[in-house]
Amino acid sequence: MKRLLGVALGVLTAIGGFVDIGDLVTNAVVGSRFGLSLVWVVATGVVGICVFANMSGRVAAASGRATFEVIRERLGPRAGLANLAASFLINLMTVTAELGGIALALQLASSVQYLLWVPVAVVAVWLVIWRVRFSIMENVTGLLGLTLIVFAVALFLLKPDWGSLGAQVLAPSIPEQETAASYWYYAVALFGAAMTPYEVFFFSSGAVEEGWSIKDLAQSRINVLVGFPLGGLLSVSIAACAAVVLLPAGIAVTSLSQVILPVAEAAGKVGLAFVLVGIVAATFGAALETTLSSGYTLAQFFGWSWGKFRRPAQAARFHLSMIICLLIGGAVLATGVDPVLVTEYSVVFSAIALPLTYLPILIVANDPQYMGEHVNGRPVNMVAMIYLVIILAASLAAIPLMIVTGAGS
Amino acid sequence: MKTARQPKYLRTPGRTLDAQLHLLDRQVLDVDGVPVTTVDDIEISAPPPETPIPAGTPAPTLTALLTGPVLGTRIFGGRPPSSRLIRIPWRDVADVGVVIRLGVRGEPLDADWVERWIRDKIIARIPGGRHDPR
Repeated sequence: MKRLLGVALGVLTAIGGFVDIGDLVTNAVVGSRFGLSLVWVVATGVVGICVFANMSGRVAAASGRATFEVIRERLGPRAGLANLAASFLINLMTVTAELGGIALALQLASSVQYLLWVPVAVVAVWLVIWRVRFSIMENVTGLLGLTLIVFAVALFLLKPDWGSLGAQVLAPSIPEQETAASYWYYAVALFGAAMTPYEVFFFSSGAVEEGWSIKDLAQSRINVLVGFPLGGLLSVSIAACAAVVLLPAGIAVTSLSQVILPVAEAAGKVGLAFVLVGIVAATFGAALETTLSSGYTLAQFFGWSWGKFRRPAQAARFHLSMIICLLIGGAVLATGVDPVLVTEYSVVFSAIALPLTYLPILIVANDPQYMGEHVNGRPVNMVAMIYLVIILAASLAAIPLMIVTGAGS
Repeated sequence: MKTARQPKYLRTPGRTLDAQLHLLDRQVLDVDGVPVTTVDDIEISAPPPETPIPAGTPAPTLTALLTGPVLGTRIFGGRPPSSRLIRIPWRDVADVGVVIRLGVRGEPLDADWVERWIRDKIIARIPGGRHDPR
């Protein structure tokens, strides 16, 4: 019974924790401009993150080594440092986007200017990282994030023409008012949002934080294989809501208030309350995860003592670096830069950086010195190789597409 | 007692360590499993450069794991003065596996001085800095 509860809790937090500001904004933008014609990208991304999150969890459980220790060992100091610089900067951008997301959601809830909420968000995120136990942090934000299911409920309440929605999914075509280049630009962005590298840093470091052994892998596999696809379905329902309400009205999403507009229309004030709680929880949870990830990557590269399971004083450089990251994120937002814009760029840059994270994991997951008998099986390797090709293609296409489309505008 | 402190590979005959593959860029843990640093470089006992080596000289031995600013010179080239190197003597190494384990505590080592400084001057002074999260 207790085991079953543990599995249920794990799956629920995986669903609630799947969506972050990148998924919210990108899915809504895509839904409002391209309908459901890019759902196949979300599906591809979800399968990919399942494969690689599982793999990095297995590496962490079998060898006790988290992702970035492995990256430096395999790539050496030079390529490792270049990788760290890229991954860390993109992660910092994601931290900034998530902090902005919290502030924007609180603005929608309170009508107080979001810039005033930024310092509140920074301090709140820091306090949780400083004081709260890892498992409680994960479970609370994950479960509260589940209120985003209101997007799926709203979709039903909107009574859409299911036939035409289904046709958009199954026979994707580029809407006539959009160019092929911007279609593919947003395909790359959606892929980046679904497969954000920080999820892998976080997942493998979390496995070390919670002291996983090989025995715990069965449960983590269920969490990932059930929770992430359902989380992906949640992403799709965000896009679908936008496709049903905003696309016909000709509203292209540029702000968070437009993201939640369909829910307000379908489910009224109650729906609005749910969606705001959900967005604050999802962005807050993701802000915690990305901030921790920036500490993890630095600490693992340089070999510092790290982890929330230690007292802050026993992981001093780890905690100091996270404080600095939060301050930088807050400072960037204080310049008045649009958090939604930061988000849109962060998912595209994530797509560019994907191979940097996923290739070293794949190499180590095949190394018996680390993995013993738990090296990748042949089917996993085949799928992973296919994904490596997709990841590489998305990464190489991102910058040219960004230039050609003027970042999607 | 002396043998217990010797690296495991000396006690298991036939194991060859490859500096690149088994030592460099590996995580170093102390005797309690606390991360100390990553192996940024290694030091071997070699005669100064450009001195002739007479035949029959014994092969150089590994004397220390290095950390600190030496990472920069390893990436960008050059060599810091010997006095600037932060050494973990090879005799303190207890085991070489997917991590390198020391037979001593990391706390008093020179390799941990930045960690100690940041802890004592900053982190421990913030309220709750010594609070156990579990």
